[in-house]
Amino acid sequence: MSRWIRFALAITLGMIGGLLYGWWGNPVTYVDTTPDSLGIDYKTDYVLMVAEAYSAEADLEAAARRLALLGGESPQESVNQAILFAERQGYTDADVATMRKLLGDLQLYLPAAEGTAP
Amino acid sequence: MRENRGPWYLLTGLALGVILGLGYAWLVQPVRYTDTTPASLRADFKERYRALIASAYQANKDLVRAKARLGLLGDPDMYRALAEQAQRTLAGGDPEEARALGLLAVALGPAPPTLAPSPSGSPAAPSPTGDITATRTITGSLTLNPAASPAQTTTPGAPANLPGPTAALLTPLPTFTPLPTRTPTPTPGAPFVLRIQEQVCNPDLEEALIQVQAFDASGGPVPGVEVIVSWEAGEDRFFTGLKPELGLGYADFSMEPLTSYALRLAKGGQPIGGLTAPECEAQGGERYWGSWSLVFEQP
Repeated sequence: MSRWIRFALAITLGMIGGLLYGWWGNPVTYVDTTPDSLGIDYKTDYVLMVAEAYSAEADLEAAARRLALLGGESPQESVNQAILFAERQGYTDADVATMRKLLGDLQLYLPAAEGTAP
Repeated sequence: MRENRGPWYLLTGLALGVILGLGYAWLVQPVRYTDTTPASLRADFKERYRALIASAYQANKDLVRAKARLGLLGDPDMYRALAEQAQRTLAGGDPEEARALGLLAVALGPAPPTLAPSPSGSPAAPSPTGDITATRTITGSLTLNPAASPAQTTTPGAPANLPGPTAALLTPLPTFTPLPTRTPTPTPGAPFVLRIQEQVCNPDLEEALIQVQAFDASGGPVPGVEVIVSWEAGEDRFFTGLKPELGLGYADFSMEPLTSYALRLAKGGQPIGGLTAPECEAQGGERYWGSWSLVFEQP
């Protein structure tokens, strides 16, 4: 085997080692994440919490402020996505209805963005 | 000549490969966390998440759900995290949110079995049994919901006891009834009566305080007792147990010097009026504002 082939093999081995170490041995860790990086199930529960709080407080601005943490195009869109996920996953009717109420009020009083839950 | 080079070129290649691999793994294509959990949130976002859990609990009174949600944040002691945030929120001027946090903390009940008062600067108010020793007291019983437990054992990574795929697969209509009844409310029965009212001259206290302690009939501290304090210009409410490091039945209120306050417990009992910061004298002759200690007990 020529010296260059062995050299290339050594580089390849090193790369594999580096990748293994970088991805599994000591991967980049995120400890200070933001709510917009949450998984969809957690986002949905977050939206449900906002809707539950809204049902008692009736403070739409506070709800919109809380939803803004999730990023996304608009609060309506965040709620819409949450409703779609909740329906797919079989959340209770009461939970979905709570979120729908919030979505309806958001569309009514904050109609700047679109919300298109069926 | 060639043989003299030895195997060093292989090591060079290996090192180059490692550098390239790490560069690719860390810089070009790092591990991306797009589906993170609430436990990884930044501290300030965790606080907002926790406050939202408390607000939602105020609306649905579903303690199982609130506890499951708090569990997602990974706090080693949910009660303490809530109580401490309640204090910070109160100091920050949001009494409504502080109240929601406090009520959830009280509903959860304290976790540590014993707590000692802070070593320095802590109020030296006496209790019926001597020093402040916070002993865990749960009035009521802890009932687990057997119907909810299977949902916690299947889908890894899914938020336990939360609405979602796991609950939906196992039970067609997962309902989260507020079954865990570790009742954090004061012992039902007779209202609290004032046992001790005395002035406290403690130069370690930075401000004049009304220190309230509530105990049940067996001498155990009672968290969650709502205290109403009023003065000429206003009124404020606070709860025992929000400073667990000082005792689970402990609460305090900062007095303005030369202002007269009246205090009563929300659940009844005798009102105590004429509470004005007393003037105390330190050993060196220096004068400072003292505090009041009020100890309530259920007969």
